[in-house]
Amino acid sequence: MKLLPRSRPRRRDYLRIPSARKRWIRAMNDSKPNTQSGSQKIQDRAHLLSARSRHKEYLVSGRLVTIRDPEAGPETTRSDAANAGSKSHMVAPKTLTVAEVARESPDGIDTQKVLSEMADIGPQARLLLVRSGEKLMRAEVFEDPRICMDIQRGAVVENLTEKPADVSGWRTHEFFIDTKGCLGDECGRCAIVCPENAIHLMGRGPGSFHEIDPLACKGCFICWVECVRTAADCILVDGKTFDPTMRSKHFGE
Amino acid sequence: MATVLSGNGAAAWGFRLSRVQCYPYYPITPSTACSQQISRWVNDGAMNTVTINAESEHSAASQIIAAGKDVRSGTATSSKGLLYMIEVLENAAGGSIPCGLFIGNRATGAPINIWADNSDAYAMRDSGLIQLFAADGQEALDNIIQGYRIAEDLGVRLPFAVNLRGFTGTHAYEGVEIPQEIDVDRYLPPFAPLNPLFAPEKPVTYGAMLSATFYRRHKRNQMAAMSNVAEVALKAGREFGEIFGRPYGLFEWVGDEKAELVVALMGESASPGDAVTRHLQGKRGIPGVALLKIRLFSPFPAREIAQALAKAGTKALVVFEEGLHHGAVFPPLAQRIATATHLHLGTDAPKVASVIGGLGGSEVRQDHFQQMFNLADNIAEGRPYRTEPYWLDIAEDPIFAESEKEAAPQLWKRWGEVWKKQARKEKYFDPLPKNTEEIRIYSRAGQGAITSAVGFTGAGIESGLQLLTVPAFGSERRGAIITTDTLVNDRGKRKIRSFNRAWDVVILYDDTILSSPEHNVLEGLKEGGVLLVNTSRLRVTKIREILSASESRLRVFTVPASEIAQGLGLSHLNMAMLGALHRVYEKVPFEKAFGYYEKHVPRPRESSLEAIQQGHAQTTDREAVRAKKERRLVVSGDFLDWRPEDHSYDLWPTALEEIQLG
Ligand code: SF4
Ligand code: SF4
Repeated sequence: MKLLPRSRPRRRDYLRIPSARKRWIRAMNDSKPNTQSGSQKIQDRAHLLSARSRHKEYLVSGRLVTIRDPEAGPETTRSDAANAGSKSHMVAPKTLTVAEVARESPDGIDTQKVLSEMADIGPQARLLLVRSGEKLMRAEVFEDPRICMDIQRGAVVENLTEKPADVSGWRTHEFFIDTKGCLGDECGRCAIVCPENAIHLMGRGPGSFHEIDPLACKGCFICWVECVRTAADCILVDGKTFDPTMRSKHFGE
Repeated sequence: MATVLSGNGAAAWGFRLSRVQCYPYYPITPSTACSQQISRWVNDGAMNTVTINAESEHSAASQIIAAGKDVRSGTATSSKGLLYMIEVLENAAGGSIPCGLFIGNRATGAPINIWADNSDAYAMRDSGLIQLFAADGQEALDNIIQGYRIAEDLGVRLPFAVNLRGFTGTHAYEGVEIPQEIDVDRYLPPFAPLNPLFAPEKPVTYGAMLSATFYRRHKRNQMAAMSNVAEVALKAGREFGEIFGRPYGLFEWVGDEKAELVVALMGESASPGDAVTRHLQGKRGIPGVALLKIRLFSPFPAREIAQALAKAGTKALVVFEEGLHHGAVFPPLAQRIATATHLHLGTDAPKVASVIGGLGGSEVRQDHFQQMFNLADNIAEGRPYRTEPYWLDIAEDPIFAESEKEAAPQLWKRWGEVWKKQARKEKYFDPLPKNTEEIRIYSRAGQGAITSAVGFTGAGIESGLQLLTVPAFGSERRGAIITTDTLVNDRGKRKIRSFNRAWDVVILYDDTILSSPEHNVLEGLKEGGVLLVNTSRLRVTKIREILSASESRLRVFTVPASEIAQGLGLSHLNMAMLGALHRVYEKVPFEKAFGYYEKHVPRPRESSLEAIQQGHAQTTDREAVRAKKERRLVVSGDFLDWRPEDHSYDLWPTALEEIQLG
């Protein structure tokens, strides 16, 4: 068997990813539930990811990446069939209080009826609204079982509403975002995943970038793992870019 | 129409009908077949589910938790597998993730033991899961569907586990009603994640570190959700009854409304208790009796149970338990009941005694319940009783002992006075009426006895009877002698799951079993019962001679099943034996059963059907059989690859096939 020399991906390949990402992000934004037929647009925008594998190609549609043999026809594989109908990205259900229901009077429900149902339960009454696109899948009034209302069910932290606190003492490494590499408001993935809400967008449009608040950063590495620019380009740990030793130390890879 | 399913098969249906979307698993006896069935369905395209072959139970549990943030997830495990999961299961409860577990309950050792008891379920009881106990396959199926309904309730959102006793539950084949998909969809709404991981507009973090203040506040919330379970479960059980005709409560009360004497327990061991309770009810000199079958173990419905006992005027409560609580006063169930009754009833609480049994696969028999009701009677009369658990079937530590000689000396020193004041009352030990007919097969592992018994069970169910087949599994491997027991109940609707161990028919798949020193094939065979032997070389008289049994003791039949199988090129003689069984036992009519076999017989179908016919035709109780030299089937690769669990699934059609066949 002849072994072919494995060529290292050229720098240009890396550079191509962001443009793919930009499309991904745009598609994602377009598919927000308040725009019409968002998921349709995602499908229209399905495109091939610049692939480094000679054996497989990656079809990107919305947040879904389908791996297939090169130049495979349009026939769907079983995993496509399994995902059919759920191609738009997930929308978190809403849980509303009485005041919020009264203020928002959400589409698709009989607000008066729901409000009186909630009044019967009292201040702990909540309305759960599950939507898929525009369609209301489930509306249910229930009593929130929590006693301590400052803690979410399951001690879940909502990343974007977390109040930044000084947890800098927890950190053993320093995290910085290289402002030249960062995609700015085109991306924002790190800001979404940061559980301490420590990452903030600076500026708008071209030239914008993200910045880590050194007080609020606890050094958890999540942004470093999740950065769309494969961590190599963009988020620096102790001033260094991608470091296999550190990676294996932290993630056992 | 009920379908014949094992407990594991029924649990698999529970997951399938609940439309579980992610099912990671790591197989372990005795719950393997549940995962096996699901991965088969997924492979066949019958289930739209992601299965993951996890590298350990720890990973499988982590995966249901991760998946459970966005979709409905579940898995099955047992014993050490569950213990390995416990480390992460608390994250499911703390993270408010309503994933589901099916547990085929099994001992946890040491020493290593693959058989049933509640050690695994008890080990997980502080992990924050809702724990339900099922008494048979049907309940396992129903409880899994209800489990998701309860766990996903917006006032609860906690993980759940459905427990079924290993082997006598998980490997028992019986008729199970499989609910219609549309009805289940009506009952169980699609999964709605409250905080999905993959919703980019509202990104969340699970399992963040919280300091003491927030930690305790979170735990307060978690407990508050847990305390909603009883109410939600009651409603879910009632609505389940409205749709499927099988209502469920938090516990089941079998027996008299006014019951001075109550035996409480959980799970499958209720079957013999059920028979004994009904037998004792209304007997002269015996006060009201009842069996309290607890379904919801965690959170323990303390108030409801205390109220039920108060209403029934219970004076003595014996709690039967298949597990230990090392170092505690009472084992877990007895402890919970004692606390509940004392908190809620104060000085009016019934007296509570604890009995331990069924450990590591120990049989739970009818006479055990007779002893327990007798014990309860003594306690109700005010006789002294032990303040530590009693044990079943420990010769040196009996429940009733009259003299020092019957007990271990150190125990007599401690409990002698109590023993002397306890009384064994014969009225509790009247033999139970034999309401069932029972068939026992002695075969060598690998001969396919289970397959034929499962087929027979299916045919019997189709002809309107209630049947139950319980194979004995063990460390025996190919060639060892194993037993497979089938119970036939032709009287009315009430399900009977308890064997009297009085056999109407005993079948030997191999005539060498006659001379096995370890097995007395006449043991338990009814007077005038039938012995059916596969043999080409022994005549009926010879068999009588070997057993030194008279004409009136038993009727002997022979069938040359190996010869028939060989003639047809089959590697298993079980089909010929199945035909022969119909000849000697006619409660399940052969004509009707044959119609069932035509649809369901193992491959190669033509030859199997022919073997059934020939087996039926060539069975005889005559002498006229030519004595031949011994015939043995060639040991095929098939035979050597045999494993009991796959076997019964491979050869009888899966329920899926049955549906496809219409
Ligand atoms: S290391 Fe963790 S805490 Fe710090 S900015 Fe990145 S994600 Fe946020
Ligand atoms: S640092 Fe990385 S993930 Fe964050 S916005 Fe910039 S490119 Fe995106």
